[in-house]
Amino acid sequence: MAKDETYDIIVIGGGVTGAGVARDCALRGLRVLLLEQGDYNHGASGRNHGLMHSGARYAVTDPESARECVEENAILRRIASHCIEPTDGLFVTLSEDDLSYQQTFVKACHASGIKTEVLSPSLALLLEPSLNPQVQGAVRVPDASIDPFSLTLANIVDARLHGAVTLTHHTVTDLLVNNGRVEGVRAINCRTGESQEYHAPVTINAAGIWGASIVRHAGIDIQMFPAKGTMLIYSKRVNQMVLNRCRKPSNADILVPDGAVSVMGTTSDHIALDTIDALRVTDAEVRLLISEGERMVPSLSSTRLLRAFAGVRPLIASDNDPEGRSISRGIVCLDHASRDGMEGLITITGGKLITYRKMAELATDLACSKLGVEVGCTTATTPLPGSENGKSARTNYIASRKNTAANRHGSRSRQIPAEDTSDRTFVCECEHVSVGEVKYAIDQLHAIDLVDLLRRTRMGMGMCQGKNCSCRIANLMARLTGDTAQAQQDLNTLLDERWKGLKPIAWGQILRDTQLTVAIYQGLCGLDKAIAGRKEGQP
Amino acid sequence: MTTPLNTLIIGGGLSGLTCGIALAKTGRRVAIVSSSTSSLQLNGGAMELLGSVDGKEVTHPLEAIVSLPPEHPYQKVGVDRCGTLAVEAKQLLADTGIYTTGTVEQNHWRITPLGVTKPAWLSLRGMATSDAPDRLPWKHVTLLNLQGFVDFPIQFVAHNLSQLGCEVTVRDIFVESLCQPRRNASEMRAANLARTLGTGSKLRQLAEAINQSTTNNEVVLLPAIAGLEDDYPVTLLRRLVNAPLHFLATMPPSVPGTRMAMMLRHYFKMLGGTYLAGDTACRAEVAENHITGIYTAKTPDKAQIAKHYVLATGSLMSLGLVATAEGITEPLFELDVDAPIEREQWSHYGLLGDQPFMHFGVRTDATLHGIKDGKSIDNLHVIGSILAGHNPLTMSDSTGVDLLTALAVAHEIIEK
Repeated sequence: MAKDETYDIIVIGGGVTGAGVARDCALRGLRVLLLEQGDYNHGASGRNHGLMHSGARYAVTDPESARECVEENAILRRIASHCIEPTDGLFVTLSEDDLSYQQTFVKACHASGIKTEVLSPSLALLLEPSLNPQVQGAVRVPDASIDPFSLTLANIVDARLHGAVTLTHHTVTDLLVNNGRVEGVRAINCRTGESQEYHAPVTINAAGIWGASIVRHAGIDIQMFPAKGTMLIYSKRVNQMVLNRCRKPSNADILVPDGAVSVMGTTSDHIALDTIDALRVTDAEVRLLISEGERMVPSLSSTRLLRAFAGVRPLIASDNDPEGRSISRGIVCLDHASRDGMEGLITITGGKLITYRKMAELATDLACSKLGVEVGCTTATTPLPGSENGKSARTNYIASRKNTAANRHGSRSRQIPAEDTSDRTFVCECEHVSVGEVKYAIDQLHAIDLVDLLRRTRMGMGMCQGKNCSCRIANLMARLTGDTAQAQQDLNTLLDERWKGLKPIAWGQILRDTQLTVAIYQGLCGLDKAIAGRKEGQP
Repeated sequence: MTTPLNTLIIGGGLSGLTCGIALAKTGRRVAIVSSSTSSLQLNGGAMELLGSVDGKEVTHPLEAIVSLPPEHPYQKVGVDRCGTLAVEAKQLLADTGIYTTGTVEQNHWRITPLGVTKPAWLSLRGMATSDAPDRLPWKHVTLLNLQGFVDFPIQFVAHNLSQLGCEVTVRDIFVESLCQPRRNASEMRAANLARTLGTGSKLRQLAEAINQSTTNNEVVLLPAIAGLEDDYPVTLLRRLVNAPLHFLATMPPSVPGTRMAMMLRHYFKMLGGTYLAGDTACRAEVAENHITGIYTAKTPDKAQIAKHYVLATGSLMSLGLVATAEGITEPLFELDVDAPIEREQWSHYGLLGDQPFMHFGVRTDATLHGIKDGKSIDNLHVIGSILAGHNPLTMSDSTGVDLLTALAVAHEIIEK
């Protein structure tokens, strides 16, 4: 790679916003480079419910966010249908909730243009039999379930099809500031340790919660309010519709059906900015989510937990509210030229997963005006790769169990090698991941390590949580990349990564399975010794 | 049952079967209640006595045993008896038909499914081993895999063996009779392959394929996919293959481990033992620190009564211990358990470290009697992986503890 690289735009952050910006820029003919410190969706984009808001959740408390959701919801159903399962949602009133809130809620939805249908408790139970039978009332809204990883990846794939360069596992360590202008960035390749400069007249900071530390390199302050949200994944899909409590948005009041599983969330706690890289799920959070979840859907009490995880919402205080008293979940697009006198730098943050496209459009519009480029945005009408045929959305998971690769990659699953027996061999039996799909993920979706591979294929995310398949896939990765020592190291990283989500809920069957996993990899295999040996041999 | 049982053993894994065999040999009436498959399916064909102390590998296990902490099961067996019991264990395995190499005086090194060396006391005949941790007995080997078999991480094996200074040639071999199972991934497991290859004609096909892909008399290493019920297929393959042939452990279910379990079970029955497979002890009657009967799932109305009871139900993964959201318990007798109360202290981040949950186990008195509410139960002994006082993975002493506590308790029962 050249020592000096020049682009029109540098995008920092490979979450859904950064991916959306990269795609928008590329579609407008700009030469764009995207730098991501981990893998795509490393931050909040990969650590959420997968709830495609109709806007209803914010209708009462944050009508601006609600309206943004309404518009983008309609657009995403057109351009990203392969990432969406149109489940609809229910806002349910339980016996301890105030039924009169339902009217306030319906009125607010109406004002924001969100379709609602008030259901009797019996009809609600008929539509969603998992509900607590003591439900007092329910309102049907057009919520849906969305796969955030497929969404981000589709944006990346399209950006690259249009000439964008995207580099994962590259951390930005500095902004190149010259005469009051940001002229590029310095970034380090986390795998090789090499550091390099990249130049562009405009840099777009889409680094989410890490955005504050990015602009600090240019001496700029933005007030982030990191809000940690913890979620639980249940091993079975217990509900068919998105379930929300019909009350003011609060802790632990959403249950989203997500493929074969259900995701319960979320908590919300302000945390210190310096703890965002070491998020730990606490026992108190787990207890709260379990007890509230069981109130809404009683059968959760007998459903096995699969994982616990936490993300950080990149909330930002508006400039006239530095104390953060009224934090909106609306979009924030900062032109640091007008705000801080620093040309060539834009921050795009706030917003929601489903308003990413709008955020990308705003940031790209601003960048174009800085570059003097007059090309309009087409992302609202151009389908993403995987959804080109514009056909129906993702089918109901249970009905489509047979062809899970098609669900993961949409129409692009046709590119998965499947000619010979060895390509069709399954390496992950829980999620039906074939050798061919692994090859596709490495070649076409730039999976660099095993954790990358897991996000792209869902391998290791099923019932066994990687116990059976990790070693097979690591071995396959070693064969395909030729770097066995690294694959061995990655196998340990993968097991640790899986364990991180299990430890907070490690009792019962999970602790039992974990003991088995440790007995296999530490006892039988000596993976710890294999890695320790490498550390000594190659300091 | 007509004549009363001398001993009822709960748990049919390595320790339960060993104890049962030792007792049945003396003519005592013994029954074993076994609920499911044993953790022997995780055993790659080797036994370990003591492989590691304080993170350092041990060469002379008997010397290292002397300095083990007092809570370690070997201390309860008596450190001075460990040597004799280990020799006895090797003989018991041989009587069963499980022939091993290795001595109690000095560890050798087994080769793991990743191709890493780990200290071992006994290895099944035919398994590839080394006499040192940092070298192999061969300069060149041909490493073979069967096409489509994904539970043998051959890249890692080749890499780690070559790290030990051995030149490795990797080859895939194609065996006609394995085309059928390949259509379904879950059938390409080591144990299923061993079943498919079970007959003489298929083993000959395999031997022929091996001979065709190896040209000289270089050592050949093959994943352990032969000999599920006895080691006849191992012997036959080694005779039919022109080159010296050794087997390497695979990912579970392990064929050599399963073979040991089957042979032990068979031998126990041959000695007149009663093996209640697929049954679970679910309730016990305990009166004043004395067990008066056990009820199983299949005979919930009739108590199984014996003079002595032995608990050999294994750890968490075998359900000898159960972790509920509230605490760690031993479900059958509610014996006193060594485990912290706070859930967050049950484990650490960093999976392959010294995990607290690997130390969990039931407390025993100096003669391995189970303890309930602080008092010993006089006719209940506890053996094997359910014992507290050590981490079998970081110390590499799991099978040793199984075998030695089983034999120590058998002696105690015999002497009574």
